[in-house]
Amino acid sequence: MNYQSAIVFGFNEYAKQIAMQIAPEYSSFAIFVMNELELVAARAAGFEVALFDLGEDWKLIEEKFDPESLIVFCALDKDAENVFLTISLRSIFEELPIIALASDHESSAKMKSAGANKVMATQQITANIITEMLEKPTVTEVLHDILYEQSLLKIAQIKVPENSFLVGKHLHDIDWGEEYDLLVLAIVDHQLSATFSFTSRGHHHHIDPEDILVVVGYEDSIAALSEVMGVVK
Amino acid sequence: MMILIVISVYILVHHVKYEVKPDWLFFNNYVISVIFLIEYLLRLWVYSDNSKAIIEQYEHDLFLQRPFKVLTALHHIILTKSKFVFSPAAIIDLLAIMPFFHEMRLLRVFILFRVFKLFRYTKSLQQFVSILSSKKFEFLTLGMFAGVIITVSSVLIYVMEANNPDSPINTMFEAVYWSVVTIFTVGYGDFVPVTSEGRTVAMVIIVAGIAVIAFATSIVVSAFTEKLDEIKEDKLIDDVSKFDQFYLICGYTPLAAQVAHRFLKSDKQVIIIDTNHKKVAEAQKEGFLALNYNPASLHSYHAIRINFETQVIAAILLEESDVLNVYTALTIREISKNVQMLSILLHHENRRKLTLAGINEVVYTQELIGLMSKEVSGRPVAFEVIHALRSENSGVFIEEIVLDTLMAKQFFETTRLSMFHKRLIVLGVYNQAMQSFFFNPSNALVVEEGDVAIVVGTRSLIDEFKALMRRKKRV
Repeated sequence: MNYQSAIVFGFNEYAKQIAMQIAPEYSSFAIFVMNELELVAARAAGFEVALFDLGEDWKLIEEKFDPESLIVFCALDKDAENVFLTISLRSIFEELPIIALASDHESSAKMKSAGANKVMATQQITANIITEMLEKPTVTEVLHDILYEQSLLKIAQIKVPENSFLVGKHLHDIDWGEEYDLLVLAIVDHQLSATFSFTSRGHHHHIDPEDILVVVGYEDSIAALSEVMGVVK
Repeated sequence: MMILIVISVYILVHHVKYEVKPDWLFFNNYVISVIFLIEYLLRLWVYSDNSKAIIEQYEHDLFLQRPFKVLTALHHIILTKSKFVFSPAAIIDLLAIMPFFHEMRLLRVFILFRVFKLFRYTKSLQQFVSILSSKKFEFLTLGMFAGVIITVSSVLIYVMEANNPDSPINTMFEAVYWSVVTIFTVGYGDFVPVTSEGRTVAMVIIVAGIAVIAFATSIVVSAFTEKLDEIKEDKLIDDVSKFDQFYLICGYTPLAAQVAHRFLKSDKQVIIIDTNHKKVAEAQKEGFLALNYNPASLHSYHAIRINFETQVIAAILLEESDVLNVYTALTIREISKNVQMLSILLHHENRRKLTLAGINEVVYTQELIGLMSKEVSGRPVAFEVIHALRSENSGVFIEEIVLDTLMAKQFFETTRLSMFHKRLIVLGVYNQAMQSFFFNPSNALVVEEGDVAIVVGTRSLIDEFKALMRRKKRV
């Protein structure tokens, strides 16, 4: 799904960084804050800002954005506020993709229960990165390059089109590295499960339309495979 | 030395009723004694630096432009050495050597002084003595109280009982013996008062005895209670000094707990230090090895006896303040120029300050979350996959394998084995010489010792892959 607009709730250090990273990716972007101080700070940073309170009926969103192509990030200061915001948004917009920040596991579970599609547990993520940086520095460097840097090596998810030549084949029938110079890390096999499974588990996946392949490879290799698969850009 | 002591005491005990082979007696009387004598002389020798005392005297005399007074220097040396000779530990050492000089039966009990030497070698015994010695005043008071009671009651019982022909207490020694046995609530019953007056004294002394025992018990218990934390800490410091390698976490926060859990999960040792004793108690409750010391103080590291060069894999600074982390970093850098340091960054404007303080890696969580948000909105499945690999909870891991010569030589050959084919994903090889990463490497790539292979697979598959690369002969 390609979203056209995004909203970030809050303007603390986390929200600021999220806004800086995602704002250029969307045609319309706004920051919703709860107090005047944050309003001034966000406006000074050059963002479109609106005030809201947790008792909102969210008419504001419906007026300004198309909820069908909107994604929101809940990054308020307190976990309790984020939970309340998430539940409040979910009560109005059933299909709205909500990404929420939580400090720990406990809040993360509450955020999920409140209806967040994806929760980023900041402590857990930071702990993972710290241990990885010290224990596996090369892995950290390579993953960082693949994910965030402007390197030619990328990670991508490719949805298998209806009439692709892959449909009907088994995942392991193809030597991806040899034939396409890319590696398939995981697959979302809709017939088996809604979530992904790692290819290195060795399961025999039968590729069906709408399955998603998570691949790592050079930009041109990914583009070449997408083209062969018949993916419409 | 402890074994020698045990042998000595065993021979002494055995010799009471049985014959001991002459070889063993010789070993006990001469060999062990000579070893102890050598130890005593060495301790005497290293107790003070003689040459230093002579040089100091020489420089002193030179400065005052007068002839070097060698006798003054010798006098100083003898005075210092005599401090050792008259110290309780040295006296015990000397008495322990006595059987060497005397083979008289009575003097053999001096062997028992060897048992006291155990104090020198057993830290817990030393601790026991130091704890009790911290209550010197209380013990002195108790001793005086017990002494007065024993003296008074002995005299009284002697006066009351000695002239009674039916009484077994006839001498002053028997009266003192009876008093001691009664006041310490033993009461053998071999000597008992028979007169009413004597029995009255007995009743008083029995009551006083309970007070003495209660007082003594309370002193010992309170001494141990007061020192319990200190003992535990000493034990922890001892444990820490025995660790080969560990991660040092400075500052206990919820993030620190998560980091420590992850390291422990991968069998890595972690030591946490924090100034706040409540946080330390919390960390200990979580099962971590935590010490109540200030991470930003040089004194702390000297007290804990940490060797940064050999023991600390990396120092991780997780205080919730950039100021504290910079201060801690500078403290650690003062001790070690080489130890790896990682710190979290709370405010991005302080990044340079952290780097200037000598921190090698800076983790700015907020920026990381910003970058991840972009991923999660654009490629949610890909993000989930990477996140699952990183969190190591899915059963599939991303690992880096540093290749040695044999592994480098057999790398491609091993990847082609059927068990790894299509199940172990070789993401690439990081070439150290060229400082570049080769994705999906082909056989044409020259893999060398020190290169790092990055693989994705299940734990058992990765372990098997490593083992087979190291195997010299293929099955």
